[in-house]
Amino acid sequence: MISIRVEYGSAKMAEEERIANAEKLKEKANTHFKEKDYENAIKYYTEALELNSSNAIYYSNRSLAYLRTECYGYALADATRALEIDKNYIKGYYRRATSNMALGKFKAALKDYETVVRVRPNDKDAKMKYQECNKIVKQKAFERAIASDELKRSVVDSLDIENMTIEDEYTGPKLEDGKVTVKFMKDLMQWFKDQKKLHRKCAYQILIQVKDILSKLPSLVEICLKETEKITICGDTHGQYYDLLNIFELNGLPSETNPYLFNGDFVDRGSFSVEVILTLFGFKLLFPDHFHLLRGNHETDNMNQMYGFEGEVKAKYTAQMFQLFSEVFQWLPLAQCINSKVLVMHGGLFSEDGVTLDDLRKIDRNRQPPDSGLCFLLWHKNGRSISKRGVSCQFGPDVTEHFLKQNKLQYIVRSHEVKAEGYEVTHSGKCITVFSAPNYCDQMGNKGAYIHLRGSDLKPEFHQFTAVPHPNVKPMAYANSLLQLGMM
Amino acid sequence: MASRLPFTDSDAADEAVRATCDDASSCKRFATSKGYWSDPYIQYFVRQAGERKAPEINRGYYARVQGMSHLLEAFIRRTEGNCQVVNLGAGLDTNFWRLKDGNLLPKKYFEVDFPMIVARKIHNIKTKPPLSKSLIETHSTDSLMMDGHSLDSDRFCIVAADLRDVLDMEDKLKKFQLDPGLPTLFLSECVMVYMTPEQSSRLVRWASDTFHTAMFINYEQVNMADRFGQVMIENLQRRQCTLAGADTCQSLDSQKERFLNAGWESADALDMMTVYGLLPQEDVARIERLEFLDEKELLQQLLQHYCISWAFKDKLRLGLSQVAF
Repeated sequence: MISIRVEYGSAKMAEEERIANAEKLKEKANTHFKEKDYENAIKYYTEALELNSSNAIYYSNRSLAYLRTECYGYALADATRALEIDKNYIKGYYRRATSNMALGKFKAALKDYETVVRVRPNDKDAKMKYQECNKIVKQKAFERAIASDELKRSVVDSLDIENMTIEDEYTGPKLEDGKVTVKFMKDLMQWFKDQKKLHRKCAYQILIQVKDILSKLPSLVEICLKETEKITICGDTHGQYYDLLNIFELNGLPSETNPYLFNGDFVDRGSFSVEVILTLFGFKLLFPDHFHLLRGNHETDNMNQMYGFEGEVKAKYTAQMFQLFSEVFQWLPLAQCINSKVLVMHGGLFSEDGVTLDDLRKIDRNRQPPDSGLCFLLWHKNGRSISKRGVSCQFGPDVTEHFLKQNKLQYIVRSHEVKAEGYEVTHSGKCITVFSAPNYCDQMGNKGAYIHLRGSDLKPEFHQFTAVPHPNVKPMAYANSLLQLGMM
Repeated sequence: MASRLPFTDSDAADEAVRATCDDASSCKRFATSKGYWSDPYIQYFVRQAGERKAPEINRGYYARVQGMSHLLEAFIRRTEGNCQVVNLGAGLDTNFWRLKDGNLLPKKYFEVDFPMIVARKIHNIKTKPPLSKSLIETHSTDSLMMDGHSLDSDRFCIVAADLRDVLDMEDKLKKFQLDPGLPTLFLSECVMVYMTPEQSSRLVRWASDTFHTAMFINYEQVNMADRFGQVMIENLQRRQCTLAGADTCQSLDSQKERFLNAGWESADALDMMTVYGLLPQEDVARIERLEFLDEKELLQQLLQHYCISWAFKDKLRLGLSQVAF
């Protein structure tokens, strides 16, 4: 009996010692915090937590340190954990609200401020923060409703291209007299194939020039194919550069007699997105009237942040370069009409009736997509499931039928969804899906496809192709799923 | 581990299998950092949240973890804690600590894995007080029995063994009081697929021969005969990782048969797409809001190529057939 008590006692003592040591570490961390040495503050809060992981105050304090170092995700996680340990810990709600504000999650922040105000009705600071946050939430809702654009300064204004120098050691392709030429494109494609980097000055030059010509295009581009002319329509390519090269191999390089239309989603997921987009932009500059690009839902900030393009650009170039890509993407046209008979767009049609081609022409597209209108063109899914999250939902054969009739069109071509055969014909031939990223994400085993359209009859002719090998590139810091092997 | 012998092909194959432990842990770590589910202990095994994983991978792991937890907890409740759990190929799993927090510990929780993995795990437990604390609290003395390849305490035990050498493993487990008389739950997550069907069949049969009241829950690939499955096998080959047990992963039926042919009373299997639909949908809606998934087809394909299969024998008539979805 006695020996058991002693054993229990020494276990208890070790426990108390641990708790005391944790407190000491916390004090140390607090001191560092006061001195604005946040890195060390975080370090010592972490050590304190290793000794005593059920202390809400440690999490809350570390959350604040993370906020100071702009690690808002970690700050949010710590605030949440503090509240999991002690849901009555008011500071925890504060911290979580602040983190959410920083992350732009104003509605979530508002909820927490509400909680604080409810528990502490006389706390002036809480009330003020609640009102401020509420104002922002209301303002954002208003902005969305009127869907108007605020003027933002362009990256172009702060770039000094003329004075950017290219080092002698750079042996890669350069624009000739500031222009893209056939030779430049051929050299560029080989350079990229060998996994080399285009000099940032050339990349900037391309982006600035592309932004200029895209901004002069309408949101609905209209082209006319003569009887003897044809065009090749490709779907999503998603950073699969080596498969893009294969398309050019199979179907010929772009030219005035071999026009192309790429229907969005050029970047993200695949880890060669930079190479894909610069190649496509290069051809746009070389053959502006015979090489067409439409915007996909992945030519947006939210997607680029999550699915790898932003990370890839930051790793290969800079954040500023990504900003410029973002601006250029905003100017990509949204739809293309061929011979007034065939309409091409990335996502699909609208859920409401009565949309006309004229409405498409009038869309103010130089922005990130809001939750309606422009969004459906980029986001619409064809078929079964309705997503409860945000903007994706279905459009059925009746919508297609009605839209085509009203606008005197024969059929639409869209992309956006992976198809095992690379393409799919639905709605009695009135809706075609084309997808040009074979073995998508190195996992799906699907074929890719492209469409030949002749001016003479506008009947779609499908060509399928399979994936080609690509270099085993290490995944980027912000993900691509290429080396995801599943759930092992 | 013998260090003088040449590094053979089979050593390379085993090394590739051990590497999957890191895949799983880092994916789980990332998913928890994003808030898919709560695991306060995984950070002590996997330092950084690491590279971002694609949303479909996070959702897939969510379904896996929730699905396995559901059955594990149902078994422990049905046996009222009067049971054992044996996690075969446990890796850096944190079940023990989370069960303890939830007051759902079995009489004893056993883990088995390769010596190198067990050594790592023991080292982590030794050096991280939040981990050892739970062990000490459930132990009758305040020093744990551990060396480089085993750790034993009253309620938790880790043993280094090769699952393909069933008798050796049984020996080691029995030394640490594995009791064939107690209702016992066997877990294996992406483990048997790395063994040949003969080897896994020996393991599964040993379990049914040795325990009269037991369950075996297995998570791994299924429907591997189609294009997606073939691509997965090719991708893994390129990493020197061979799915030696792919034949058993042909279909839900083949997953069930492996148990029925090895002495188990009854077997069932569901693909993860089905499991996903059977999980509490409110929480599923919550996690679907965490990250926007741009291509649902990717998740669907993934979920349709993994399954949970389970089998039981119920001499004590505990109603183990009720442990299901």
